[in-house]
Amino acid sequence: MQYMLLINEDESIYEGDDGAKLMEETLAGHMALAQAWAEKGVAFSGERLKPGSTATTIKWNAGSHTLHDGPFAETHEELGGFYIIDVPSLDEALEWAKQIPVPGKGAVEVRPIWPMEG
Amino acid sequence: MSLAREIADARPRVISALAVQLRDFDLVEDAFADAAEKLIEGGDVPDRLTSWLFVVAKRKALDAMRGRAAQDRALQKSAPVEEMADILTLPEPIADERLRLIFICCHPAIALEARTALALKVICGLPVGVIARLFVTSEATMYQRITRAKAKVRDAGIAFELPERKAWGERLEAVLLTLELAYTAAYQDAAGELDPELSGEVARLAAMVAELLPEEPEALGLAALVWLARSREAARVDADGAMVPLSQQDVCKWDFAAIEQARLWLEGAAKFGASGPYQVMAAIQLTHARRAYDGKTDWGAVLALYDVLMGMRPAPMVGLNRAVALEKVEGAKAGLEALDAIEGSRIRSSRPYRVARAQMYSGLGQWDAARCELEQALDQDVPRAERLFLKRKLKELRQNHRPTS
Repeated sequence: MQYMLLINEDESIYEGDDGAKLMEETLAGHMALAQAWAEKGVAFSGERLKPGSTATTIKWNAGSHTLHDGPFAETHEELGGFYIIDVPSLDEALEWAKQIPVPGKGAVEVRPIWPMEG
Repeated sequence: MSLAREIADARPRVISALAVQLRDFDLVEDAFADAAEKLIEGGDVPDRLTSWLFVVAKRKALDAMRGRAAQDRALQKSAPVEEMADILTLPEPIADERLRLIFICCHPAIALEARTALALKVICGLPVGVIARLFVTSEATMYQRITRAKAKVRDAGIAFELPERKAWGERLEAVLLTLELAYTAAYQDAAGELDPELSGEVARLAAMVAELLPEEPEALGLAALVWLARSREAARVDADGAMVPLSQQDVCKWDFAAIEQARLWLEGAAKFGASGPYQVMAAIQLTHARRAYDGKTDWGAVLALYDVLMGMRPAPMVGLNRAVALEKVEGAKAGLEALDAIEGSRIRSSRPYRVARAQMYSGLGQWDAARCELEQALDQDVPRAERLFLKRKLKELRQNHRPTS
């Protein structure tokens, strides 16, 4: 079963004096995770996103839309990246999701992917 | 035993066994209902009813899965059922399907308030109405909660294997709550709508959890609590079928082997120095059990334990029991004041609250008020054994203390 791991984190944590070092550690964590998946034969893909400030949101309301500068959700934690992994159960997806580095405040949402027809 | 009764008794075991194999509670419950219908229509009752229901329900479930798979080709990617069945042949860390399933229903990915409800419905076979009463909520709300939990189990791909032992701890609270509520439901089942073996079954499961997790003092506490309640089962109803309150029970009818086992569990729990509500509740029941040895009840100790429990679980029902203990220690006036201090319209109009008030008024010699409370208690839906007991009390009041007006 495929699961998407949505990584929401506080971007501002990477802006302080220790920011660059923290980013380096976080990236190393992601590298280690990718390596573990490769070693265990877990099929995965994923991307890192540019900061929330670069986002543009199309907001729909009953057939009409407006453009909005910024991400959809007005929170301190922004969607910063995602993975899609193929594992047998939610429990395994959760075990992997817990290993995603989130140095500050944040949340990793785990959602099963609707299987494609055919 | 009626056929309907036999089917109801077989249900939890068959559902558990099928759910482990097929991983879809709705599918399994529907298949069981189909199998039961076929059995009732067919007329002939097979010798091994449980096995028959298992085999027929499994075939129905597989048919339903194939039907669905034909509609939804994506399902063809999922593991074939024959492979899933192999899971059952693996050695299991918990050698009991029902208990395993309870641990699985208590998965932390399911909303906390739904975990126990799901386990009570699917694994213990309690009707939704009974579960709603245990959680003091409406049947509609409870039905929705259970439906959502089942959908989450199916759609999110929750594993049907037990996690590693170290991860059992995070499920334990909900598992213990499930057993506590299942026992409560069985104990209160005056209408006889539940499996008559449920209380014995819960006692067995509680003992099993205590053996599996001897390093969890609350697991030991719950086992002790359930076994102490069970030790009095032969003494709680008299020859007429009327309830006998704990303080008037004939101690010769208590099961002393069960009391001793409970005492050992509590002793084991105490070594960890980490108290909790189940241990305190069990300690209260053990204090009552001591009447068999000491000849009287140490109400001061009972009251002190209720004070501790109030700090841990400040529920209205705990407050009510504390007030009853307070009456024994400080008198009816203090007891009545403690009852008056309990807030909440639901508890204040409840039967136990009215019965407790009647007790206090009798203690104060206010016979009219006592009678009035008992009459109001009897207006409610009262289990048969308790109804007989309350009616007898009311009759005594009417005979010995004629109304002043």
